[in-house]
Amino acid sequence: MRGIGKRFGGVTALDDVDLDLYPGEVLAIVGDNGAGKSTLIKILTGVHRPTSGTLTMAGEPLVLTGHSDAITRGIDAVYQSLALADHLTPAANLFLGSELTVRVLGVTLLDNRRMRAEAERVLNERLGVRLRSMDVPTSSLSGGQRQAVAIARAVYRSDLKVLVMDEPTAALGPQETARTLKLIETVRDQGIAVVVISHSLDDVFAVSDRIQVMRRGRGAGVVDTADSDVTSVLGLIVGASAEAA
Amino acid sequence: MSDITDMAGRTGVAAASGEPDALAAGATTRERLDRYVALIGPMAMIAALLLIMLILEPTRYFRLSNFDIILKDAALYMPMAMAMTLVICTRGIDLSIGSVAALTAIVMAYMVKSFGFPWWVAVPLAISLGALCGLVNGLIITRLKVPDLIGTLAMDLAYRGFALVLAKGVVLSRFPEEIVAIGRGEIPGFVAIPVVIGLSTVLVGYVIYTRTRLGRYALAIGSNPEAAELTGIPVDRYKVYVYVLMGAMAGLAGVMLAGKLNAVQATSAPFFNLHVIAAVVVGGTSLFGGRGSIVGSLAGVLLLSMMINALVTLRIEFFWQSVASGAVIIASVAFYTWLQKADRDGSGGLASRLATPEARRMLRFIALLFAITGALFLLGWLFAGETTAVR
Repeated sequence: MRGIGKRFGGVTALDDVDLDLYPGEVLAIVGDNGAGKSTLIKILTGVHRPTSGTLTMAGEPLVLTGHSDAITRGIDAVYQSLALADHLTPAANLFLGSELTVRVLGVTLLDNRRMRAEAERVLNERLGVRLRSMDVPTSSLSGGQRQAVAIARAVYRSDLKVLVMDEPTAALGPQETARTLKLIETVRDQGIAVVVISHSLDDVFAVSDRIQVMRRGRGAGVVDTADSDVTSVLGLIVGASAEAA
Repeated sequence: MSDITDMAGRTGVAAASGEPDALAAGATTRERLDRYVALIGPMAMIAALLLIMLILEPTRYFRLSNFDIILKDAALYMPMAMAMTLVICTRGIDLSIGSVAALTAIVMAYMVKSFGFPWWVAVPLAISLGALCGLVNGLIITRLKVPDLIGTLAMDLAYRGFALVLAKGVVLSRFPEEIVAIGRGEIPGFVAIPVVIGLSTVLVGYVIYTRTRLGRYALAIGSNPEAAELTGIPVDRYKVYVYVLMGAMAGLAGVMLAGKLNAVQATSAPFFNLHVIAAVVVGGTSLFGGRGSIVGSLAGVLLLSMMINALVTLRIEFFWQSVASGAVIIASVAFYTWLQKADRDGSGGLASRLATPEARRMLRFIALLFAITGALFLLGWLFAGETTAVR
């Protein structure tokens, strides 16, 4: 993403922001509230169109007409609310909107058995997660397991190139946070580019390869996680050269 | 430029390090039971009803001919209960089904009697007209964004109005024997045609609910409308489908009713909506959407018909039926809500809950209302003048 700008009426949400993303890495985007993180990734996932600036993917210009367009191009997101239908089973949630079907006597019916098996396979093999049970409503699973189902839904598409995660650990306790971070690493190791928005610098330093800091709609710096520490990133977030509030 | 150069040859099987995420293995017993709660509820009530009738009036209630009557009465509501389950699962509701049934039956009657349509055209026509009424409901709800409660309530008035315009006070009767057969006929071998029709629609409904996109998306839309949108489900289109199905089933019920009574008028089917919604709710479907049961709705329909039949058998006055139905609906919904509560063994019982300051304020308020009403009765009695006979 180069020179991305976004205005909503009179409000400038983003101003001349650059973002580089490579496969097989975790890029964390951090910044205070109102820094423009959500807006930036909404442009990346096709929900918003940039007012100015360009996107390119693999050297080709990228114009997204909407979120479903982004999905067909291999860019998907897991939202903070997880977008799960709590009453349905994990398998049903995983295939929501793209169910596997079978034709019986000329009628197209859902192939529940295959979906259940496939869901179990994706969760076990690609993510290394074993759910408490595949046959309970998703609401009765733990927060971390629900995350896993939401991630599995995005990851199931074999052509996924970019996975955006918005505050994945915000509502999780320490054990579940650890599991989710491990999941993120698993996804990264499969060659997918993962973008993580997080308020928790601990999590960011635990899992990310690079950190991009946003401040007030502009890029405030990109650092390699290995070469940096919490204090300097905090400085970038807040604005080390104390600007007038 | 976002340089996402795809690295060649990366396939996605990578097992994670660390222990797999397996807490308590499998579903708990409580959860395995949860799936059958929808069935246990109405079954328990049916059992209770049978027990009561066994004590009070065994010979007249427990006859094959009586169960036959119950089944045929229930069969009329089965198609609508099936469709209403789907509607309620989407967090919607349809209050217009009685009027749709009456309207489509009246149009069918006119087509057959005044225009000589053959029955095998008129019956599908009635169902198709019902589907159109459902389409109007669906479009009003999805395009005009009118909330379903108000929208279908208003259309209930409108469809009833159309029926009155068409038929005025006339009773249309004496339908061709095929239509009467649909309402009350029997295949020799002791299976009533309406029961066959009813049970078939329930079976189709079960398949729709568990094995088709329509059923799956109806549940998803009711469970989390936002998630349904985000995953690309065409929410508006499927909501319309659900209301169209509802309307079609109302049309079918109209045909069955017309056949059963061999008569139809503009005021026919006055309480279809409440009866069907009650049956669905008693059957365990949640009014908040996302959770329902076709089999439960079937049980609910049977329970209501058994209950009404019991009241008739006990020679209880007809108008008590409404009181009884209301009581059963409230009791079952309260019971299901209580079953769903995660924490059920805290807080030490009724006495201690009545002793809190908040409860005391509530009790004082209730006492005040009763006192005012009682005082007014007393006042009237003290100042009573001449009485006139109540005819």
